[in-house]
Amino acid sequence: MKNSSLGQAWLVLLLSLAFGAALAGVQVGWGPIIEQNKRNKTYDQIPRLVHDVEAVDLTGKPAKLSGVKEATEEVPYDDGKSVAFKVFWQGKDPAGKVHLGWVIKGKGNGYADVIEVLIGLDRKAERITGMTVLFNNETPGLGNKITTEKFQGQFRGLDAAKPVGCEKSAPAPGANRIQAISGATISSESVCNIVNQAVAGFRAQLPALNKKDH
Amino acid sequence: MAKDGPTPLERFLRGIIPENPVFRQVLGTCPTLAITGTVRQAITMSAAVMFVLICANLITSMIRNLLKPHLRILVFTLTIAAFVTIADKFLAAFVPDMSEKLGPYIPLIVVNCIIICRCEVCASKQGLAASAADAVGQGLGNTLALVAMATVRELLGSGSWFDIPLFWKEGTAGEQFRWSIMNQPPGAFITFGLLLGAVVWIDQLHQKRAAAAKR
Amino acid sequence: MEYLSQIVLIAIGAALINNFVLHYFVGICPFIGVSRRVDMAFGMGAAVTFVISIAAMLSWVLTYYVLQPGAPLAKWIAGLFLPAEIAAQVDLSVLTYIVYIFVIASSVQFVEMYLRKFLPALYKSFGVFLPLITTNCAILFACLYVMKMVVGVEPAEQWGLVPSLTLAFFAGIGFTLAIVIMAGIREELDHCDVPAPLRGPGITLIVSGILALAFLAFTGMDRKLEKMFKGDAPAVTAAQDAQVPTSASPVWKPPAQTDSPDTDTQRQ
Repeated sequence: MKNSSLGQAWLVLLLSLAFGAALAGVQVGWGPIIEQNKRNKTYDQIPRLVHDVEAVDLTGKPAKLSGVKEATEEVPYDDGKSVAFKVFWQGKDPAGKVHLGWVIKGKGNGYADVIEVLIGLDRKAERITGMTVLFNNETPGLGNKITTEKFQGQFRGLDAAKPVGCEKSAPAPGANRIQAISGATISSESVCNIVNQAVAGFRAQLPALNKKDH
Repeated sequence: MAKDGPTPLERFLRGIIPENPVFRQVLGTCPTLAITGTVRQAITMSAAVMFVLICANLITSMIRNLLKPHLRILVFTLTIAAFVTIADKFLAAFVPDMSEKLGPYIPLIVVNCIIICRCEVCASKQGLAASAADAVGQGLGNTLALVAMATVRELLGSGSWFDIPLFWKEGTAGEQFRWSIMNQPPGAFITFGLLLGAVVWIDQLHQKRAAAAKR
Repeated sequence: MEYLSQIVLIAIGAALINNFVLHYFVGICPFIGVSRRVDMAFGMGAAVTFVISIAAMLSWVLTYYVLQPGAPLAKWIAGLFLPAEIAAQVDLSVLTYIVYIFVIASSVQFVEMYLRKFLPALYKSFGVFLPLITTNCAILFACLYVMKMVVGVEPAEQWGLVPSLTLAFFAGIGFTLAIVIMAGIREELDHCDVPAPLRGPGITLIVSGILALAFLAFTGMDRKLEKMFKGDAPAVTAAQDAQVPTSASPVWKPPAQTDSPDTDTQRQ
């Protein structure tokens, strides 16, 4: 009996072993690349999110921010529930790591699905220096315009201490508001809420983070 | 089917139009509907399907004489699942943006009826050459169908083809001509239904003409 | 309360808003193949709901305890052979697809045997559909969805068994709903003069397109419901308004705003 069931199953067992070995090889060979890709998806955005304000501020002219990705540190906050990216710029001087600002993640429900955003903040987390949508599944042609520069650019320079508002008509300058995408008010409002929540949460933790550093 | 069934060339040619897996056999409908929003996605998906199809067909054909009838579906599934994992990891490693867009539809190739159907119909009965030709033919037929779907949907829904803007650019005034629905689920169903109808219609015209010629 | 509202939102999301057939396009084969008569469609829907719940439950258990990186059971078994620090890194997630498809196939077999032995009446009504279900992508899709919510998210948001089971069960309900509606429409279509080339799958797909259009109207419903559960939106922003200055500014007073001129020019 044992012999006959083994006789029937040997092919399946052999195939399983062969495929198991192949998959292990795949995991060992490509696993690190996949991890790297996942990391890059966030890290590629970071220079764009902080450099507009600070790079000009530091050197007097728009600097090429090489080495930002390598110098950036991940800092856990909120009891390790979230991670902020403390963005540094590695200038020519190896000792002179310049702290450019922070990038934090935000996540919340949009109109159709979850929206994930990255938010750039200056060193003191007083101004929003950039916002980009990492993941969205909003309606094509309407809600997914939240990924356009026209929408995302509105967040640049807004005051981080006050919640960002969202209105249908063009807001007055300095009103700390953005204009919603026409036909996609809910998606626009969702992004605002996600940004506000993430920024407020981070700002509440910032004193503790700074204390840890010194 | 007879022992030496159709020749490799016949197998290859049949897969593309006369036995097109999507339009004629209506198999593998999930990816046809789900990932044909843009041509690039459709090509990536059909490349993945083709890879799995060829590998599974070759392995099945190699071990066809050792197969026990009641274990064959198990062996097919195991083979397919292993190659799908490889394809999935490959895309995640080298084409990460596509891998993210296609998401769960790559693993769903495991239950794509086209592959298991080809293993059963062709590869478990014929030699390596015929199986390989069959896999390439069916794979091309699948590609053709997916690209046809994606062309219609991308042209109408995004005004572009293979990400090259043809009708209008995102963010310009021409965008008012966008059929937003084409990018969404209903557009997929309706496009597929109409294309399927068109294929049947052409076929019926041919048959009518052939019948008239005979008379 | 928050847990309960999460469950309700998952249920509504799976059954109506992101209906598996009409939004994710999974389970199309039975949707087209077995939607000729309402009673058959209902039988198929019930069988799918049954199997999808069992498969999702099994796959949650397997993902959580064996397959996810650093899963307890895998760690323990590896710990028998390997030093502890290597065992902690064991990651079997590369095997997920193979494991899932066998979980589905064996649960279908198991359900079939159980029903035949103990509930022959039910077996008789399910019987035809059960073997078909193995290749139903809806089941695998539910397993993959569960995997995504266990492996792909931060630990705080990881789904437990109850949300996973809710998703699967209501996905099955949604499938039943879609296929029964479809069957109802198709019974009426029999009396209509459909153009010859579209008869069969063609017209079914076009009708499902219109059905999907109707289901599109559910989008965004979960967001309104969520607002209802959590209280009104203005209350949230007001709380934020109050919270920000009190918690942040007194403790850590920022120095002069050096970068504000720059940002203002950029904004204009």
